[in-house]
Amino acid sequence: MPKKSNDSLRKINAVLHRDLGYFFAALLIAYSLSGIALNHIDEWNPDFIVKKTSLDFDGSYDRQNVDAELIRHFSRIAGEDTFRLYDFPSERQVKVYYKDATLLVNLADGSGTYEKISRRPLFYQFNVLHRNSVDWWKWASDIFAVMLIIITVTGVIMLRGKNGFSGRGKWLAAAGLIPPLAALILQNFQ
Amino acid sequence: MQNNNPFFVLLACMLPLILSGCNTASESPDTLVQQEQDQQKTGVLLVSHGSHSETWRTTLFKLEDNVRERIIGNTHVDGIKSAFMEYTEPSIATRLKEFDKEGYSDVIIVPILLTVSSHSFDDIPTIVGIKENPESVEMLKLEKIERYTPEAEVHITPLLDFQEILQDNVLRRARDLSQNPEEEGLALIGYGSEPYKEEWTKLFEATADHVAAETGIDTYSIGWCGHIVRYSPDSTTTAVERVLEKEKRAIVIPALVAFDENFQIRIIGGGIEKVDNNQERVLYKPDSILPDPGVEKWIVDISHEYSKIIDKKQ
Repeated sequence: MPKKSNDSLRKINAVLHRDLGYFFAALLIAYSLSGIALNHIDEWNPDFIVKKTSLDFDGSYDRQNVDAELIRHFSRIAGEDTFRLYDFPSERQVKVYYKDATLLVNLADGSGTYEKISRRPLFYQFNVLHRNSVDWWKWASDIFAVMLIIITVTGVIMLRGKNGFSGRGKWLAAAGLIPPLAALILQNFQ
Repeated sequence: MQNNNPFFVLLACMLPLILSGCNTASESPDTLVQQEQDQQKTGVLLVSHGSHSETWRTTLFKLEDNVRERIIGNTHVDGIKSAFMEYTEPSIATRLKEFDKEGYSDVIIVPILLTVSSHSFDDIPTIVGIKENPESVEMLKLEKIERYTPEAEVHITPLLDFQEILQDNVLRRARDLSQNPEEEGLALIGYGSEPYKEEWTKLFEATADHVAAETGIDTYSIGWCGHIVRYSPDSTTTAVERVLEKEKRAIVIPALVAFDENFQIRIIGGGIEKVDNNQERVLYKPDSILPDPGVEKWIVDISHEYSKIIDKKQ
């Protein structure tokens, strides 16, 4: 290939790598943070902050005697002025609903748990994107995935010489294969 | 003398119409009741959890097929459909829109769920607009589960946690696997629910006691396979090992509504595989509560009962 056209291809490659990198930088960081958050879904709630407060309603109650007045009394102790609805998940429990909170009272011993839910700032929004919780976003997500491949390939072939893929690049790329391969082999033996 | 005033001409034209209107108002009460009943149209919606597994979904559609004739034939129900709460269509919202479009006045929702959980108590009522549980509202939005308040009046029936249905079902399946009851114990594995663990445990304990009384298999343990244990096989392994501490063999029964590869094979099957010498010591068939004539009968009976209540209200 003539040197001139080779140079212009290299230039296109560098421009693609640079500009796609700039364009997708924010999304890449959002997906990475969301990825870490969702990896640990068993240890925390990455979408919501659920603030639980244990309450004591002093005594035991009979389901038959639970009425709006008693629910208002429970609600006042929980710090709520009004309630939307109450219902009985079982014979021993009553659940009270508020705008962004609930109260579960164990009627037998008068213990209760008040739960207030709010969206976890930033992570909720990142997770909405990562989980494709917006219908059409999966197509944007597909395009993003293809662009990541292009950014990676253009990065791999960008440099020549001892710091290029044919130099140290091939060894580092091979080393990068070791952790996923080790995980797959270990999984096979489990 | 001929009157050409347009008002009188219009009045003369409308007179028969006005008189016919008066006639309608003087119809007998029987005719009115008949008309209201004509407008009344009741549907049954069988709602289950939903799964990515095709086998699971097929089982639930088959359940609908099995009860359709008995429900429509013996009750004042005009139509029956199935819906899944999550993962796949037809969703609850899709089906309720269909009922609305077809002019139904009442929809009886029959949850095909074993016992109380957040899904039955909060999520389904929130989807159909009866409740607005803050956590369900947020989760449904994240999971892209549509909420729809239908024009038809919705009636939600109680759950399947009538102990006899599960007791008879588990007893039949345990007997099928049993080789020598004196040397065996029972490991019951269910989906579970964090806030209602006590209710689930009581239901399973009563079931295991029934099996013990009928067969003599009196050692038992309970394990979970759902979100309560983060879908881990470890709870199954622990439940089986607890039985094997006292007995020679463990009979493992999945107390799950239908078969799902992820649950009966990967989680429960995976949990059993971790038990030493499991091929000799564990008796397991990856089956489910369905198909079960008792469940079908319960669906028919509860639909009948609710359709009668709706009829009386009219």
